[in-house]
Amino acid sequence: MTHDFSQADSGFNPGQKCIEEQVLRFMDTEQKQTFDIEALRTKLTSTTGRQYWRGLGELAENEEFIQYLEDEVPQATRSMGMYVDRRQFLTLAGAGLALAGLSGCRFQPQRKIVPYVKMPEDMTLGIPSYFATAVPSVSGTALGVIATTREGRPIKLEGNPDHPDSLGKTDAVTQSLLIGMYDPDRSQTVMNQGEVSAWKEFYSKARDAFSRQRTTRGAGVRVLTETITSPTLAAQMKDLLTQFPEAKWIQYEPEGRANVRSGAIAAFGEPVNTIYKFDQATRILSLDADFLLTMPGHVRYAGDFIKGRRVRRDTKDINRLYVVEGMPTITGANADERLPLRPSEIEGFARAVAQGVGVDVGGAPVPAFNGDNAKYLAALIKDLKAAPAGTTLIVPGDFQPAPVHALAHAINAQLGNAGKTVLYTDPVTAVPSDQLADLKTLVADISASKVDLLLILGGNPVYTAPADLRFSEQIVKVPFSIHLAAYEDETSFLTKWHLPEAHFMEAWGDIRAYDGTVSIIQPMIAPLYDGRSAHEVISGLIEEPREGYYIVRDYYRSQGVINEDDFNKILHDGVVANSASKLRPVTLKTGAASAVSPAIARPSGNTLEVVIRPDTTIGDGRYANNGWLQELPKPILKTTWDNVAVISPQTAAALHIPYDTESATNTPMAELTVRGNKITAPVWILPGHPDDTVTLTLGYGRERAGSVGSGIGYNAYNVVFSDTLWNTTGTLEGGKGSLPVATTQHHYLMENRDLIRVGSIAQFTRSSYDKERLSPDDLEEQDKNEKPKSKVVEERPNIYNLDEYKYPKDPNNAIEKFGAYSWGMSIDNTACIGCNACVSACVAENNTPVVGKDEVLRGRAMHWIRIDTYYASDAAQSNAYFKNPKTYFMPVMCVHCEQAPCEPVCPVAATIHSHEGLNMMVYNRCVGTKYCSNNCPYKVRRFNFFNYANHHDVPVRKLLNNPEVTVRGRGVMEKCSYCTQRISVKRQQAKQIGVEIKDGDLVTACQQACPTDAIVFGNISDANAAVSKLKTEPHDYSLLGELNTRPRTTYLARVNNPNPEIESEASQSEKTRGDQQQRG
Amino acid sequence: MDSTINTNPPAPGNDPTEGLITGEHTYETITDKVSSIVINQRKQPLSWYVIFGGAFIMLNVMMATITHLLFKGIGIWGINIPSGWGWDIINFVWWIGIGHAGTLISAILLLLRQQWRTSINRFAEAMTLFAVACAGLYPLLHTGRPWVAYWLFPYPNVLGMWPQFRSPLVWDVFAVSTYATVSAVFWFVGLIPDLATMRDRATNPAAKVIFACLSLGWRGSAQHWQRYEAAYLMLAGLSTPLVLSVHSIVSFDFSVGIVPGWHTTIFPPYFVAGAVYAGFAMVLLLAIPTRAIYGLKDFITMKHLDWMAKIMLTTGLMVFYGYMVEAFYSWYGGDPAEMDMMKHRMFGPYGWAYWMLISCNGVAPQFLWFPRVRRSIPALFILSLIVSLGMWLERFVIVTVSLTRTAIPATWGYYTPTVFDWSMFLGTMGQFLFLFFLFIRFVPMIAIFEMRDLLHKSHHDDTNGNGHGVNGHTEAPPIGTQTTIPAGAGE
Repeated sequence: MTHDFSQADSGFNPGQKCIEEQVLRFMDTEQKQTFDIEALRTKLTSTTGRQYWRGLGELAENEEFIQYLEDEVPQATRSMGMYVDRRQFLTLAGAGLALAGLSGCRFQPQRKIVPYVKMPEDMTLGIPSYFATAVPSVSGTALGVIATTREGRPIKLEGNPDHPDSLGKTDAVTQSLLIGMYDPDRSQTVMNQGEVSAWKEFYSKARDAFSRQRTTRGAGVRVLTETITSPTLAAQMKDLLTQFPEAKWIQYEPEGRANVRSGAIAAFGEPVNTIYKFDQATRILSLDADFLLTMPGHVRYAGDFIKGRRVRRDTKDINRLYVVEGMPTITGANADERLPLRPSEIEGFARAVAQGVGVDVGGAPVPAFNGDNAKYLAALIKDLKAAPAGTTLIVPGDFQPAPVHALAHAINAQLGNAGKTVLYTDPVTAVPSDQLADLKTLVADISASKVDLLLILGGNPVYTAPADLRFSEQIVKVPFSIHLAAYEDETSFLTKWHLPEAHFMEAWGDIRAYDGTVSIIQPMIAPLYDGRSAHEVISGLIEEPREGYYIVRDYYRSQGVINEDDFNKILHDGVVANSASKLRPVTLKTGAASAVSPAIARPSGNTLEVVIRPDTTIGDGRYANNGWLQELPKPILKTTWDNVAVISPQTAAALHIPYDTESATNTPMAELTVRGNKITAPVWILPGHPDDTVTLTLGYGRERAGSVGSGIGYNAYNVVFSDTLWNTTGTLEGGKGSLPVATTQHHYLMENRDLIRVGSIAQFTRSSYDKERLSPDDLEEQDKNEKPKSKVVEERPNIYNLDEYKYPKDPNNAIEKFGAYSWGMSIDNTACIGCNACVSACVAENNTPVVGKDEVLRGRAMHWIRIDTYYASDAAQSNAYFKNPKTYFMPVMCVHCEQAPCEPVCPVAATIHSHEGLNMMVYNRCVGTKYCSNNCPYKVRRFNFFNYANHHDVPVRKLLNNPEVTVRGRGVMEKCSYCTQRISVKRQQAKQIGVEIKDGDLVTACQQACPTDAIVFGNISDANAAVSKLKTEPHDYSLLGELNTRPRTTYLARVNNPNPEIESEASQSEKTRGDQQQRG
Repeated sequence: MDSTINTNPPAPGNDPTEGLITGEHTYETITDKVSSIVINQRKQPLSWYVIFGGAFIMLNVMMATITHLLFKGIGIWGINIPSGWGWDIINFVWWIGIGHAGTLISAILLLLRQQWRTSINRFAEAMTLFAVACAGLYPLLHTGRPWVAYWLFPYPNVLGMWPQFRSPLVWDVFAVSTYATVSAVFWFVGLIPDLATMRDRATNPAAKVIFACLSLGWRGSAQHWQRYEAAYLMLAGLSTPLVLSVHSIVSFDFSVGIVPGWHTTIFPPYFVAGAVYAGFAMVLLLAIPTRAIYGLKDFITMKHLDWMAKIMLTTGLMVFYGYMVEAFYSWYGGDPAEMDMMKHRMFGPYGWAYWMLISCNGVAPQFLWFPRVRRSIPALFILSLIVSLGMWLERFVIVTVSLTRTAIPATWGYYTPTVFDWSMFLGTMGQFLFLFFLFIRFVPMIAIFEMRDLLHKSHHDDTNGNGHGVNGHTEAPPIGTQTTIPAGAGE
């Protein structure tokens, strides 16, 4: 019930649910309802298997029960129980029933609260502990993290500075992983054919089955895993395969880097691993490679890439990025020169580049390019050849076919990059394999009844396998099938046994980074739901199961880490020193560049090229039940809670699909047919997308993801075929109704306003800027007019201009007035790659609630930071705008105005200024008039229209909350606080030892996560602080500074490095000016 | 329908009371006519039951909505970020605006010696009170935590916290609560002589007791009249600045903000003009059916309607001027955000609202230039409806369109009302009509004693100074003190 009007979170209260239930039952008698949950529970306990499910099915239609569920499990509706259609509700009701029948009130037993009689070692109540561990990132590679735990529960992940991929930074997905661990939908018991079973029973059955296989040397045994980089697991598998030599180990995952592997084999004859050194390259060409967001090593790569283009006062030159890509990605948005091509055209383009720089393409056909594309190609080749050997870098995309990878290797070799900007090492994967071929063989074996025992460790092949393999029809034929997974998902539903998998925060393990560096995964908490790790499951198949710790420990003993201190050092550091894969000398095979992949039919009419990619937030579907990731706006698209089919404006026009940017909430649906398989998807019309192409994303359309991820979006795996995989053709037919798609941004043009300032490095270096603090566009003006123009905005009369709001402009004066600290921030728009890491980190740090699709649709997303995305072009709505606009990102959170418009309008003084310059929100005082938000020109304030923090949540979710941050109740305003809780902790610590907070010692959550250091926070009264120095840069500016708000957060203008041969500087400056002019 | 009235148009002449009472009336018939509506409770027309029943249902819809809102949160409305205010504030301003005509009629017109206010002031004041009651609900309920909304009042508390006096919302609290209080007192004081009449005439013992209590021992003595007149005039003086201040302060809610479309100095006068405009439209909307239902055409004559229409036309022109000035200055000011906002007002997704507003408030009132329109009951009724709609749209355009198009285009949004916005709005209409129809049944809706005074004056006007003194209103008792019918103390 929601009688609790108290503002603050009532805290973790395991008994609450039971009380609620009693109240409900009381209400039931009041209303003379016939429904009795206890009777139901008794009835359900006495039924089993199929009967049980039928019982539930009948019950699901019972009106009283629906009423009960609506009251009891409001979070199941994801929409505050308000706007759920009957069908959707019944689906959810089914899911909720399982909860009622299986766990219900006993979900969190009530325990007596007693203080620690004996204080646990290394733990002080209220003081967080930090542990180095690692989390799985893209394609089974690791991202090293430091986990913050409070009283034994992990609440936050930060990057591990010693880890080669992380270097202290993280990405959006990593920041959101913890909510997955506290997910109440995670599977909680061993299930055998729909009935609750136990580990002991499973092990005994499994050992029987395995021992029967000994006679055939394991000929009927198959083990299916995702891509494995864990040395321990590989050793265990090797052990198993020694005992059962006829058994087979198959690795398959949809994001598996099959093309990368075959490309390397084509070029060098062996599956070497490629590592890029972006910080060494001055000219970079990405061939459909989204290396800033989705490649293994992307966190490191993003940092390295930005290292080469950080613009400061004395910067003379920065690197130049060319991106040739299909679907607009953040990598393309960060390109100096982007060229949209259909993904199937990119191979031809790569070959043309190869030929241009002098690679022998062995007579393979080189397509002719014309118009702008030819100009682009010529300029690119010229630029690549002009650069000194070993300073360029060609990066092929993971989803491009093997010949593109081979061509990239050849070009890199030709340009002398091998060993300089491109390194080749031993593979990272424990056993590199042709994943798709193995999967096909597995399916063939099952269908030939050769498989008696199938052990699936992780992954969800029923959902992710290509549609034509009909994996779901095959898997049921296996007599003894086991699925270890975190959720009872589509695969678990069809296997005989389902085993709950321990989350990687709950179990021991190890994993390699993109460069092979090994990290040991330490558990941060005992398994919440009786889960086990893959290590433990394998160990129990032959003999008594062993604990994960001993399995991992013994493996490292066998590798020579005998000494306990050495092992502890590994755990402490989070990485095994010098464990990176060895560099491998490679020689390019002759004819490597001459391979040609089968052509994709040229699109015509409503037959389009179909491109399928993992989703940018929920990946291949593994994070579908993660509310944080579902609600995270997808970069560029800004959609949440749905996947869309992306096409270009021209294609939309050709297919008569309406393009209405002004009412983006009602998205037209279209039906896509690929070889007879159909999906119906909302069509998203995106400027910059290549014509005649439709891009789909994976991960949605799940049937058994959990209460968050089931039944939303379309399932793109339906059109994935094993021969064409991620690139095929299909017909798109519009006019299939419409669907509201929840987006967080509706308007993508700057409308001639001075929001993101953009200039070229040439402009930046040409002008003198010593006296005046100018931005590049002002410099351009100065060049023309020959007289300097001050950037400082003329002071206008202002009703807010009261004495107490007069902050000294000179940072040195601030000390006199405010004491030691004046907090401020600088955000570098050049360095912001738009990856969402800050948004996600802020959510994790500040207990930001998930509100659900309907609320996002209403415009009530709660993120404290948003990444404003703008398109710029010569002229808005022009052809160029639609075809290939420039895309700019700008993170906006509360800028902590010194003359904040929100403050004087609050009738109860709930938002006030601190003496350190923070614009603070006093939640307890807020009555919720929303006037502050209306008057905030930056629109960074968020309002709790409902009791978001508690509405969706079950008690276990509260374990995730950061205890240092208030959980906001219903009806109060909230916003970015500059992580005031972190400031307080550091201030206390500094005070205790009698020093001042050192610059760099205090970082905000967004700053800490940002892989490119685009966000810098600190004390602006300290002239030597990094943030103060940034604020004296010539291209520093205030967002909406003309409003006299005097924001404490300022921005550095974005500086590009366009190739003058592709676009004249005039047109470049036209682009930015056209969008910013008309001011004066 | 009004043939008798139309055949008897107010004759041109110098007599200001000419045509304000038509038909053959004596003091007795006036008293009888007005008080019988209250005294003879059984003789209520069917239409009273129909309208009251409908209003009661709507009132309950409002109660249900408020209950739901208190349980769930204000998220049941369509407000969002960037549009933190929606129908809540639109309707608040709309109702407050409607509340303006009452006090204007009673206070300002009294001070200006406008005789024609007499027959409409009582129910116009009642309308004010009920409109303010509807308006007052919104600021309370629009807060995220209405149970602590009292923090907006300066009251002694252990926190030592005062409201933040720089916020226009605090000014609002004072302005609206003062306005409500003064209007209520003014209304009640004006009622006292009539309540005494009702006490004397009531046949039902309970009604007699209640009216006796409420009439505060009024005996109609010369001293009573003398003090009464003084008090009434002082209250009128007190109310007069409030008419101007309340809506000026309400307009500060917007003009103090730096939201493009809000931040403009023309708001106070143009809001006040708009309020009077909307208020007179609402008086007409209420007067036209009431005079028909209760046969009060002799008291609320065509002349009244005609003059009210003229005020509507005047204030309508002022409002229209405000629209033009707004548009001009957003262009002349040269601020891109301001210009874009105006462009979006006119041609954006809410453009329909702007052009409907211009048609309703700019074009439609121009018909009132024609005397024939001013004297046509159906035309006036329809025009009043249009003006009420127009004034609602004005607030919609100011609140919603401005908020959804602010300084940063990436934050531009949309606002869609939900079913609960509708039920709350229709519910307050129900509440308004509910209270109003209770009022016309239990309180004399026309000031009896003032009408008798008016009758007296219209008969003696040519002999100004015939024994009552030139300053009859202040120095000498106005009527009834002579002999025949001492007001209220009569029978």
